[in-house]
Amino acid sequence: MNLASYAARRAALGLVQVLAVVTLVFFLVEALPGDAAVALAGDNPDPARIAQIRAAMRLDLPAAERFAQWLAGLPRLDFGESLVSGRPVAQFLFAGIGPTVVLAVLTLVLLLPISVLVGVLAALREGSLLDRALTSVSVALHSIPEFALAVVLIAVFGVQLAWLPPTAVGADVLAEPAVLVLPLVVLLARPICSISRLVRAGMVDALESDYVRHARRLGIGETRVRFAHALPNALAPAVQQVARTTDWLLGGVIVVEAVFVIPGLGTVLVDSVAARDLPVVQGLAVVFAVTTVAVNLLADLVAFRLAPRAEVIA
Amino acid sequence: MKRAGIGGVLIAVPLALALLGPLFVPEDVTRSAPFMPVGLLGTDFVGRDTWHQVLAGGQTVVLVALLATAFSYLVGVPYGVVAATARLRLVDELLMRPLDVLLAVPSLLVLILVAAITGQGLVVLVGIVTLVNFPDVARLSRATALEIAGRPALEAMRMQGESWWQTSIVYTGRSMLRTLAADLGVRLTAALYLVASASFLGVGVPPGAADWAVMVDRNRGGLFLQPWAVVVPALLIISLSIGLNLVFDRALRKVRT
Repeated sequence: MNLASYAARRAALGLVQVLAVVTLVFFLVEALPGDAAVALAGDNPDPARIAQIRAAMRLDLPAAERFAQWLAGLPRLDFGESLVSGRPVAQFLFAGIGPTVVLAVLTLVLLLPISVLVGVLAALREGSLLDRALTSVSVALHSIPEFALAVVLIAVFGVQLAWLPPTAVGADVLAEPAVLVLPLVVLLARPICSISRLVRAGMVDALESDYVRHARRLGIGETRVRFAHALPNALAPAVQQVARTTDWLLGGVIVVEAVFVIPGLGTVLVDSVAARDLPVVQGLAVVFAVTTVAVNLLADLVAFRLAPRAEVIA
Repeated sequence: MKRAGIGGVLIAVPLALALLGPLFVPEDVTRSAPFMPVGLLGTDFVGRDTWHQVLAGGQTVVLVALLATAFSYLVGVPYGVVAATARLRLVDELLMRPLDVLLAVPSLLVLILVAAITGQGLVVLVGIVTLVNFPDVARLSRATALEIAGRPALEAMRMQGESWWQTSIVYTGRSMLRTLAADLGVRLTAALYLVASASFLGVGVPPGAADWAVMVDRNRGGLFLQPWAVVVPALLIISLSIGLNLVFDRALRKVRT
């Protein structure tokens, strides 16, 4: 199977996945208790007024009809309007995407070289003190909740030592890069551990494989064997994990955004759920679903390119 | 050997505090001004003694994580086995495809949405963490059971006319035990991670509750005045997750070699 037909098949599957997630979230959100029209009428709970608001927000239509209308608007980036402020949902999303993407890109730019380097170093010195130290640390740090790590770092570096700003309140990210140091450290801690462990395992396997032994027998230089022959195969399993990390960075860093007061998508999500602003929640779910599927699609294609084997296709 | 020792200590301290701590909390709550240096660790955001809160606050985190892990296995293993042993391919697909969708939604999004629908409460928290964790258990069980179902030993048992109970439950169950046990550490730390993060975001436990994660969130405002009220519960959670990882990683190695 060549890359193009594989890509087409995966893209079709991805589209189905997006539709399924979007449908699920639409009806989950529909199930949220509380009537937005009653809440908006506020001090003036006059039935006529509530009915008026309901008609204006099209809440009087059956759920299936609203779902169809909403679905039809999605390709035009029309996510409806916020119930609370009346602004288009797309505005909320665009405002939140900026900080989230900046954080995600910076994290990935640091993450990839560091974790590959750590993994390769550990694998080349397999069994040595360095390897055992790196492995122990990465096992230990692997699942610390971000908020706990974050507050300890803030307490030490932000408050006690006062080296770095403790939060990003009101700061312009580009003008003051120092506000990003602590969030980046927190975001990097877990992914570095998981990815470097996978790279290490893949590299150890690859260095012991027949094709590497064969390449050595052919007299190819050790550096070239390691980095041109062994490394690409070692990276294939790690690519999936990088995809999961990217996906998490683009949608799941709610906690880190909350601790450091970064106005990204996670903050928008928490605020809109708290305010029962259903269209915004639904819009966010669409964004998250699309990024999840797109990132995984990309990862599968990269893995396919790195190691075109049968099990990657399945 | 050394690492298991460190891991053991790292688990023992928070676990002992969580399980035995509530016994040492005095009945009458003494209140003073918020964030004052009174007592061992000062006072918290409403003037309660931080040390007493630390003693009382581990229970929910640990219990909810343990319960949620237990329930994910209770639901996930039968689910996966049924999907694997189903005669009809369609049943397998019907059971497993929805899980793919569930796994494609960020777990904290599921958590926040479901909590917003059902309201707060420890039962809800256990339920949601189970819901988020069981697809992984189900997938693993299905994969393991599929491998076992193809074994010649099982075919031989079937041809000998052994009962369904013997083949599907006793033999398959025993063979799956090892793989599932190896996975236990990962599930437990994942549950702990989710429970703590959820409590921190204010899902599941009321905002005034004595809970390590809630303490971290609520006392953040006094970080400059009373850092202990934030740092001590945070360090306890960190120590528990590091300890769990080290101990289970070591156990896993022993199983494999």
